[in-house]
Amino acid sequence: MQEREEAEELVTPGEVLGKGSQLKAGRGAYFLPQNGTVYASLTGRRSLIPPSPLSSDQRPTVEVTGHSAHGAIPEPGSIVIARVTKVMARMASADIMCVGPKSVREKFTGIIRQQDVRATEIDKVDMHSSFRPGDIVRALVLSLGDARAYFLSTAKNELGVVSAESAAGATMVPMSWTEMQCPLTGQIEQRKVAKVGGQA
Amino acid sequence: MEDNTPASFVDQLVVPGDVVLDLSKMGNQTIKLGGGLHQDCDAITVTKAGRLRFSKPNKYWVESSQKRYVPCVEDTVLGIVVDSKADNFLVDIKGPALAFLPVLAFEGGTRRNIPKFEAGTLLYVRVVKANTGMNPELSCTDASGKAAEFGPLKDGYMFESSTGLSRMLLSSPTCPVLEALGKKLSFEIAVGLNGRVWVNASSPSTVILVANAIMNSESLSVVQQKIMVDKLLQRIQ
Repeated sequence: MQEREEAEELVTPGEVLGKGSQLKAGRGAYFLPQNGTVYASLTGRRSLIPPSPLSSDQRPTVEVTGHSAHGAIPEPGSIVIARVTKVMARMASADIMCVGPKSVREKFTGIIRQQDVRATEIDKVDMHSSFRPGDIVRALVLSLGDARAYFLSTAKNELGVVSAESAAGATMVPMSWTEMQCPLTGQIEQRKVAKVGGQA
Repeated sequence: MEDNTPASFVDQLVVPGDVVLDLSKMGNQTIKLGGGLHQDCDAITVTKAGRLRFSKPNKYWVESSQKRYVPCVEDTVLGIVVDSKADNFLVDIKGPALAFLPVLAFEGGTRRNIPKFEAGTLLYVRVVKANTGMNPELSCTDASGKAAEFGPLKDGYMFESSTGLSRMLLSSPTCPVLEALGKKLSFEIAVGLNGRVWVNASSPSTVILVANAIMNSESLSVVQQKIMVDKLLQRIQ
């Protein structure tokens, strides 16, 4: 998995990658018709992809892979692990940390709206008894959302708070799908708890 | 010298770090802890300096007086409008975060008759939701939906006080300062638990006199308050 073995050079945005007559611009590169040259648009390593034998155009494609390109990116339908940063009256915002089993390389923000917290009685959801800042939640990406954040949902049994800290500072133990208990003080706090574990 | 029975700490001044209750020695009772107390396994320690209070059957809390207000549910406070957004007014209640007052939280409030408050309007409001980390939510109606004196306060003069003085002004039976002032002067007063007091009267000198009397009365005993009010009233009559 070492990228150094492939001896590719580091390119910066604006660097000339080659002539348009010899190369096709792939991801991370672009072709300027005035000059007939292919330039890089990202900072990263350039790689050449050989042309497929079936296509009529036999130019290889040049691609630039940025440093964050090998990190995971949340796609609609993927399960993500996120940490709740802010809880407001009608939504909670969370920092996405992992997509599936892989961690992300750059910051992605997600929003869990009041109607996406659970599947039943969605207009009576109290955000403060579902999440608190600092909770780790497992959520499903609903859509790419708006320019600021992905839309996430915890409206399934296996989605919701996976790990949370109590007011006393201890990691709480889940008791039901709505409650978690602090082992130090015995206080019960309300969360939307995820059903973790195998079949039973 | 150490007397570990809980009665010894009640109504005493306590400072952060004092262990006031030991649950292992108290038998099987349920105790309700209010503000300023923190449970550490079996010991109850004080986290705010003040006086420890106890109310039957099982409530303990620390009463302290500060300039900064911590929002609590069902408190009546005086807020100042800072901004208005589509759904809420942003109101400053001297707490850690701005509070939201929903545009429809008025008696008979509908989308058609939304009140227009400018920045700087003084409001008498009730705290509906106050969770840590979230902005508090306010309302201009009481629990049953009636207006009940909530809403904007016109004219008058607003000054700031500590939270302890606000609680004393609102205590029943009537606080001695207000009783003594009320016998000779007529004025209108609104006290917010967040450390703001609003006074209105027909003449400015009355307003100033009432405001000064209240500000001076914080650390005085009942008799001293009456003497102070009498002296102030003699000066103008």
